[in-house]
Formats: sequence, C-alpha cells, structure tokens
Amino acid sequence: MLVGAVFFPLLGAAISGLFGRWIGDRVAQWSTVICMVLAAVCGIGAFAQVALGGQPTTVPIVTWMEVGGLEASWALRYDTLSAVMVMMVTFISTLIHLYSVGYMSHDATPYRFFAYLSLFTFMMLMLVTADNLAQLFFGWEGVGLASYLLIGYWYEKESANVAAMKAFIVNRVGDLFFMLGVALTFFVFGSIEFSIIFAAVPDRAQDIFLGVNALELIAVLLFLGACGKSAQIGLHTWLPDAMEGPTPVSALIHAATMVTAGVFLVCRMSPVFEFAPTALALVTVVGATTAFFAATVGCVQNDIKRVIAYSTCSQLGYMFFAAGVGAYQVAMFHLFTHAFFKALLFLGAGSVIHAMSDEQDIRKMGGIWTKIPITYVVMWIGSLALAGIPFFAGYYSKDAILEAAFAAHSPVGMYAFILGLAAAFLTAFYSWRLLILTFHGAPRADAHTMEHVHESPWVMLFPLLVLAAGAIGVGYLFYPLFIGAHEQAFWQGSVFTGPDNHILHDMHEVPGWVPIAPAAIGLAGIALAYVMYMIAPELPGRLASRFRGLYLFLLNKWYFDELYDALFVRPARRLAEVFWKVGDARIIDGMPNGAADLAVQASRGAVRMQTGRVANYAFAMIIGLVIFVSLFLIGFVR
Amino acid sequence: MAWTLALPELVLALCGLAILLIGVLPKRDTFFPMAMAVTGSLLLAAVLVLGQQEGVALNGLYVADSFSSFMKVLALIGAALGLLLALDYNTRERLNRFEYPVLVLFATLGMMVMISANDLMSVYLGLELLSLPLYVMAAFDRDAGRSAEAGLKYFVLGALASGLLLYGASLVYGFAGTTNFDRLAAAFAAQEGVSPGVVVGLVFVMAGLAFKISAVPFHMWTPDVYEGAPTPVTAFFAAAPKVAALALLARVLLGPFADLAAQWQQVVVLISIASMLLGAFAAIGQRNLKRLMAYSSIGHVGYALMGLAVVSDVGLRGLIVYIAIYVFMNIGAFAVLVAMRRSGRAVEQVEDLAGLGRTDPAMALWMAVFMFSMAGIPPLAGFFGKLYVFLAAVQGGYWTLAVIGVLTSVVAAYYYLRIVKVMYFDQPPEAALERAPPSLSVVMATTGLFNLAFCLFPAPMLAAAGIAAAALLG
Amino acid sequence: MTQPLLADYFPILVFLAIAGGIALAMVGGSLLLARQKPDPEKLSAYECGFEPFDDTRRRFDVRFYLVAILFIIFDLEVAFLFPWAVALGDIGWFGFWSMMAFLGVLTIGFIYEWRKGALDWE
Repeated sequence: MLVGAVFFPLLGAAISGLFGRWIGDRVAQWSTVICMVLAAVCGIGAFAQVALGGQPTTVPIVTWMEVGGLEASWALRYDTLSAVMVMMVTFISTLIHLYSVGYMSHDATPYRFFAYLSLFTFMMLMLVTADNLAQLFFGWEGVGLASYLLIGYWYEKESANVAAMKAFIVNRVGDLFFMLGVALTFFVFGSIEFSIIFAAVPDRAQDIFLGVNALELIAVLLFLGACGKSAQIGLHTWLPDAMEGPTPVSALIHAATMVTAGVFLVCRMSPVFEFAPTALALVTVVGATTAFFAATVGCVQNDIKRVIAYSTCSQLGYMFFAAGVGAYQVAMFHLFTHAFFKALLFLGAGSVIHAMSDEQDIRKMGGIWTKIPITYVVMWIGSLALAGIPFFAGYYSKDAILEAAFAAHSPVGMYAFILGLAAAFLTAFYSWRLLILTFHGAPRADAHTMEHVHESPWVMLFPLLVLAAGAIGVGYLFYPLFIGAHEQAFWQGSVFTGPDNHILHDMHEVPGWVPIAPAAIGLAGIALAYVMYMIAPELPGRLASRFRGLYLFLLNKWYFDELYDALFVRPARRLAEVFWKVGDARIIDGMPNGAADLAVQASRGAVRMQTGRVANYAFAMIIGLVIFVSLFLIGFVR
Repeated sequence: MAWTLALPELVLALCGLAILLIGVLPKRDTFFPMAMAVTGSLLLAAVLVLGQQEGVALNGLYVADSFSSFMKVLALIGAALGLLLALDYNTRERLNRFEYPVLVLFATLGMMVMISANDLMSVYLGLELLSLPLYVMAAFDRDAGRSAEAGLKYFVLGALASGLLLYGASLVYGFAGTTNFDRLAAAFAAQEGVSPGVVVGLVFVMAGLAFKISAVPFHMWTPDVYEGAPTPVTAFFAAAPKVAALALLARVLLGPFADLAAQWQQVVVLISIASMLLGAFAAIGQRNLKRLMAYSSIGHVGYALMGLAVVSDVGLRGLIVYIAIYVFMNIGAFAVLVAMRRSGRAVEQVEDLAGLGRTDPAMALWMAVFMFSMAGIPPLAGFFGKLYVFLAAVQGGYWTLAVIGVLTSVVAAYYYLRIVKVMYFDQPPEAALERAPPSLSVVMATTGLFNLAFCLFPAPMLAAAGIAAAALLG
Repeated sequence: MTQPLLADYFPILVFLAIAGGIALAMVGGSLLLARQKPDPEKLSAYECGFEPFDDTRRRFDVRFYLVAILFIIFDLEVAFLFPWAVALGDIGWFGFWSMMAFLGVLTIGFIYEWRKGALDWE
C-alpha cells in the first residue's frame, strides 16, 4: 500500500505516455485516472496507518548510488509529515485528473497531458517520501521538469514556451542554492540520509564553515532553494507567468502541491532549522514580505488566474513565516487546508474560463452567476476559505498562523504579524473583487460569448464539489490533529521542535483580540470590495487615476520583472552574445572546424596518392619496404 | 606420418575437385547447386576443424592448435557468408558461373593452409593458393573494364608481393638454414645475435603478408580493387582473406620470430599507426561506398595490428577478438552494399542510400547498426573490439598507439555517421532502392544481431580468443 | 687432371662440344646444300602468331596465351614425372600416391579444359 501510493501514478504515466498514441485518448485518460484513484486509496490508507495509526516506517526499494562515501538508497520514508503530503497529493491529484477529463476534452493530445500530470504526481510523491536529500532532489527536479512540460504544454503558443522557460530558469537559480545546501550537508554530516542527519544535528550545532555557523548556512541555502520552488519574493516571478499552462495544471502544481514543496522542505529539515535561529528569522521576514507583497499585487491584476496565482504566492508566504517562527505544524496545517481551497479556486476559475470560451480577463466577464450557479457557489466557498472567514478551512489555519506570529514575541514575529494582518485584509479584498467582477454586474463580454456561457459537465463539477466540501470541512476536522490537542500524538516527532520552542502552546495564550482580528479584518476587506465594485463601480477607476503611481507600481508587480530584465537578463544576453560571437563562433567552433578542415586536407592528400597506376603502387610498396628494412637494420645495429 | 591431421583441408580439397568435375559436366547452368555444395563443404570443413586434434603433421609443414582452429572456423564462416552474398547478385549480373563458388572454395583452402602453416614453404603454398583464385575473382566480371582492371592490378601487385615474400623466405633460409618454424624458433633462441640477412628476410616476408591484409604502405591496391571488383567479391576480399593473413602474420611473428620481437615490433607499430591514420582520413572524401569500405578496412587492420604490436597475450587476444568482430561487421555492411539496387542496376554511391530510413527501414536499421559498430560506438560489438586492443595497448604502456587509435576512430566515426545521416535525414530520390532479396536479409539480420548481442554474451568469444592466444604464445 | 672438381664436369664439356658440332653441321649443311631464295618475310625472325617487332602494348589473340599456359602445366607434369620415376624406389608408397594425387588433380583440370572447349582452336 505504501509503495502503491507512490508508484501507481508512475504506472499511469507510463501507460498514457508510452502507449497513449495506440490505445487512444479515452483509454489513456481513464487509465491514468484509475491509477490515480488507486494511488489515492493507498495514500489515504497510508495516512491512516502511519499518521493515525502511529506506525512510521521506511520502505527500502533499492540502493541507488554508492559513490565514495556518498551512499543514497532509494526508500520511501513514511512518517506523519510525508503521510500527510502523500494523502493530500494523491487525493487532490485524483480530483484534478478527473476534472481534466472534462477540461481537456477538446485538446488534441490529451494522453500527453495526462502522462505529464501523472508523472508530476509521481515525482511529487517521490519528493515527499524521500528518505535522503538525493532522492528529495530527484523529486525536486522531477516536479520542476513536469512543471516545465505542463506550463509549456501548449507549445505552439509562444507565451507558453517563454513562461515554461522562465519557470525552469528561475527555479534553477533556487536549485543551485539547494544543491549547495545538499553538498554542504554532506560535507558537514558525512551523509545525506535524514535519519543520520537529524540524529547528528545537536552535535554539529557549533560547527563553523567559512566563518559561519554551518547549520545556519545549510538552512539558509536550503531555504533559498525552497524560495525558488515556492515562489517567494525575489524568485516569485515565474509563478504568475506559469498560468500559461492549462488550468488543472495551475490548480495541481502551482497551487496545491509543487509550490508547497519549499514549505515541506523547511518542515522536513526542521531539526536543522531549529538550530539556526538566524535562518529562521530570514524565513519569517521573507515569508511575511511575500505574503504582503503578493497580496498588494493581487489587488490590481485583471487576469482571473493571475489573481489567484498571486494569492497562492501570498499564502505561501504565510506558510513560510509560520515555519519561521517555529510553528511548523501550523505551516503544514495551512499547507493542507490551502491545497483544498486553492485547488478549488483554480478549478472554479477553470470552470469560468471554460464557460466564457477561454476568456481570462475579469474585466470582460460579469453577470454570469445565474448561468453557472454551481461554479458560482464553489467560488464563494473557496473565497470564504481563503479569506479566513470563520469555520471555513482557511480560518483555522490562517488564524493559527497569525496567532503563532504574535506569540513569537520577537521583532520579526511582530513584523510578520502586522504584514500578515494587512495581507489578510488585502486577500479578502481581492477575492471579492474577483468574485464581483467575474460574476456580478452587467455582462461585459460580447453577446456571442454570453450566449455560450454554460455550466461545466459533471466530470468537472464533481471534483469541484468534493473540494468545496474540503474547503469547508478540513479545517474543522483536522484542527485537533495538526495543531490542537492531539498534535503530539499525531506528528510523533516527524516535525522537530526544539526544547525551547513552545510556540504551539503560546499561541493559545495570546490576547483575546488576536484570534478575532483576522476574521474581522477579512470581513472589512470584503466590505471594501463590495463598496468599490458593487455599489460604486466608478470608484476604482478614479482611485487608479488619482494614485496613478501606486497603481502602476502594483500593476507592474513592483517592477520585479523589469528589474530582473535590466539586472540579469540583458547583461546575460550581452555576455552571451560576446560568448557566441567570439567564444563560440571563433574559438570553440574554430577548433573543430579547423580540425575538420585539416582532416579534409589530409584526406585529399591521401587520396591524391591513389593515382590508379600500378607502377606507382608498386613504387610505394618498394619505398615502404626500403624504409622498413633500413629501420630494421638501424634497430638491429642499435 | 599423421597426414590425417590435415583432414579438414584434404576433405575440402577433394570436395573442391569433385564440385569442379560435377559442375563442368552438365551443359546447363549449375551456379546455384554448386554454390550450395560449396557452402556445405565449407561448413563440413568447419565441423571437421572443430573436431580436429592438435599436433604437427606432414613433416612439420602443418600445425593444428586452438589458434588455427579458431581462425579457420572464422575464415570458413566469413567465406560461407561471403558466398551467400553472391547468390542473388551474381544471378542478376549474369556472373552466375559455377566457377565462382569453386574459386571461393579453393581460396578458402588456401586460407586454411596459411593458417595452419608451420613452414615458410607451406606459407607460400597457402598464400598462392589463396591469391590465384582471388585474382580471378577480382576480374570475374570480365566484360566490365573496371573489373578486368582490378584483376590485373591485383595480379601484378600481388605477384610483386609474392615475390617479396619468396625472396624474404629464401633469405631466411639462406641465413638460418631452415624454413621450419619450430627449428627457426629454436635457432633464434639458441644464438645470441641475429644475422642481418635474417632480419632483412623477415621484413620481406612481412611486406608480403602486409600486402594481403592491405596495411599501409602495401595497401595501394585496395581502393582500386575494392571498387573495381564485383561487390560480392569485394565483400569476400574484405573478410575471410584478412583473417587468414592476419593469423599467418601473427603466427610468423610470434612463432619463429618471437625472439626478434624487439626488431619487428617497431615496424608493426609503424604499419599500425599509418594504417589507422590513412583509414581514418582518406575515407572522408569518398563518395563511392566500396572505396570508402576499402579505406575503412585499412583502418580496421591498423586497429587489429595494434594488438600484435604490443606483443602480449592480452594484445593477441585483442587482435583475435577484433578480427572476429570485424568479419561480422564487414560482411553485414557489404550485405547492404550488395543489396543496393535501383531499377535493376547495382548502385554504390553514398548518396544512393539517401532516405533509406523511410523507404526500407529494416535495411537502414541494419546498416546503421553496422556503421555504429564500425565507428566503435557502445554497446555494439565494434566498440568491444576496439576496447580490447586499446586496453592491451594501454596495459603495455603504448600510449601513443592508444591515443592515435582513439583519435583516428573519432575521425573515422565521421564518415560512418555520415552514412547514417544520409540514410535518415536526406531526401530519398525518385526511385527507392529495391527490396533486399531474402538471402541478403538473412545475412544482414544474422550479422546485425551478432553486433547487437555481443555486448550481452561476450564471454564465450573472449574465452575462445583467450585459449587461441594462449595456444599461439605457448 | 689435378683438380677432381673440373674432372667431374668433363662430360659436360664433351656434351657442349658435340651439341655445337651438330648445330654447326645442320646450319652449315643447309647453307651449302639448299637453294637460297631470300625475301623479307623469310629473313625476319619467326614469332608465333604476331609481328616480331612491334609495340609491346598491342592486342594478340588470347588463344596463344591459353595454349601456352596449358602447355606449361603438362610440361611441368612431365618434368616432375622423370625424377619421381627415378626415385620411386626410395620414396615408397607415399611417394607413389602423392604423384597419383597430383596426376589426379591435373586430370580433373584437363577434363575441365576439355569441357570448356579450351582445347578447340576455333
């Protein structure tokens, strides 16, 4: 069962990818869906056995590599942390596979899509069940590859290709740090196996590397790697562009699973991070800044998927600063709930896009809520969960995060708390801006499109409803396990908290206004959005022209792309041009071309000897003979 | 008088005479049945070789050991496959005269005599018995100018080479007093220095043998003869006689003249390097496939000689493995060349292969396998052949040889891969190549599978080669 | 006759003298007795089948060549047969059968020539 959860998706990917062309689209699609269902059953079973039943275990598969002192086996490490992830990934992925059957029904090569999707799922499972850093890195790169393939799935679209490249390259920057982190870990601990590392952490707490505390350095490097994958500020630029991929992809990869891999990594490496307070402070600051930054940008975006993408970015920031203040369990809890409602929002958005004949700009929507009521309802549920309205999933986790930040009683904690609150306000605001612009008001699409607005087929609605149920219920259901009364029994030490870390306890003792604040602020945000877009729809335009500078600043996403373009892309292009024209064309190409020329010359010379005249041939033989005889005699004399 | 030891040769000779007699008596065309009979005789001889006892016979003229058995079986297989290649081609080109298989048989008999030679006299006898049929075969398409020219060139130069060999043999006899290998070895081992006359004689003998394996600088005939002779004849030339001549060269150098290794070694090194270089470079500009294969075979002989140049059991084993693999790659590649026909006419330019990947995927696949194998790309057999000689060179400390070997194989890979490129990436011309007849397809598939599967089961071949090498080095 | 080596060769000297004498007698007799009526054709050296003085690279009928080759083979056969016959007592049955094998091979070759029509001039 434990193995099945991981390998069924691979089986599905293989069936669909290798034989999809022959067995036909329908068979390929449904075979991957069936494999995913089996995986999800196994995943839930694994969760029950490992997390609820309290039987963490490691399933060895094969010794992977043995190079010098570096030994990495291939094993599935099942503890609560990975069991949570396995269950979540397989479950959400199954729903999204199902959804895609409807969503991709008009596509030319669905088998390719499903193969990629299953491959991604497998890689993600590989990542979360890794029992050493090498295997984790394998999964890490694997999901990166699958993400690249899926973002660029519509490869005939120029923008999709560019976005795929961008995602890959920006991730590569993060991966570089990640690799350095792995290398340093191996250097310090002499192993990359988690169990060995974790056991040795206390002994290595004082190790110095290059004048810096080695554990701090490892933690910072790994966190920078996580930043790339989880789109934290600075390395976030790829995520909004990644929306070029099909919407189910955005839901699965860029909301529920892959982008949370960074958070997972920090939680997985919590024993190391616990001994690296500076690194944790960095995590907190970066996470809080991202949460706020992305929320501000989300307020002015007009592409329905981009809004949700920035929202994802922002929520990831929450998770990071939760981990940063030491509340890894809370971070995981938010990760878990977020997966449900964010997947829901994306799939809902997909349903809207589907209904609107592939229109994504919310300025061209509106007035369609009566036509697609189910989508409308589930979008409401998702938004309520996202905004942290009480008793929806997001409420439990987001509240807990802000409480934890407050309870940290540190400057960075306060920083995170304030920015977190602000972001919560903005989150509610942009969520309702999105809802109102999309569904209410006068229809702004052309009549032709409006005629075709239709509710999605049941194969798409069913996952939406399941996820909606999740967005309502998982917070309440899992609260006691993740961060409530049973958390110790639940986690069984799979997430390490230092002896001085009482954050989970402290967060229940914060002043009374703190737990209420997020919900209140969320409601305020909703109210503001209602006023601005429902009651006085001309207000946003006026505000935008009034505060033009700020508006443009936000609209252009704080000018990150432009900055990177000027700082890295253009100089790199210039450097590349120099390398190309001088280095490559003259030097690198010059050598083999020169060698090839030489070879051709030699060939001509050799062929010229071949005159075709017997006398010349005989002459050559005799000359050769004379040379050999003289050589022989010289050798003989010597 | 253990003349029964030479049973395979005697049986083969009798078969040859009988086939000649039976073939000539009826008035009608007897090409096909005679070819089958010859193939059968070759296989019968191979079976007899496998069951042969070891020992020296016929007054010390003839020796049978593991080395000779291995090489004879290889030569017999090469000859039989070479004959199969001719079945369809000769019929179509009106070369279906029953003398062709008989000539193949007698040439093969000559090879066997060479391989088992234990005396300079039997060396010469075998060599001539091989050469005379080859001269005739080169000119077999006697109405075509090219073929006649090839035969004549080969004959004149071959006569020169035979003369050199015979002169060398007489010098050796004059200075050492015997032509028997065992007695020569004993004589050289006993005395301290060696007379210059013997040394010069040895060089002449080597020159005569180098001519047969077309090693530089005695290679000049190769491109012209390969191009001019009918393609199945070229295929035959390129495989079996090379085995016999290399085996003979190895036996002569490592047998009676083993104590002179210090002297002949540098010559073999030079020949090897020159052959590798010429084989790699001269073929680059070739557009005619047969000419290209001629240079290719010169290069391969260079690699094989590398195994001899290092004078060690590992090296000799490398040579044996190399030549065995070479036979299979070469016969396979020539099977494709023989099969190349367009609108009823045989074609032989590289461009004629254009688009073969689309028009005849099976043939293109096999050709690609042979080309990759010849280029020495793992995991095909050709890679292992090169690997073992390079390993031997490195182990013996002959870095120059190994480095030149690797470099030239990189250069040579160019023209092999170009053929693959032409097959798969160039536009096919209007009329596609005709389908390969079944006999050729069988040869292609057999040799192709050998090349593919060698990496899976290299052990038997390596073990046999090791035993053969040990037998020769005693 | 102090030198035995030269004495051994004395019969050859005699042989040479007799041969020279016979040759001289025949040519001289012909000169003296026959009727002399010379013309250019008669005076030119005799060459079988083609012009005696000409470019070396000219065609000639391959049949001459064929006959010459076939002649040489059987000539050699005879050349082998004489010493074999003389030494047969010493070499025994092995020698006998070796020669039989040789003759057998030649016979097969002869049959081949015959069947192929190499012996017919036209």
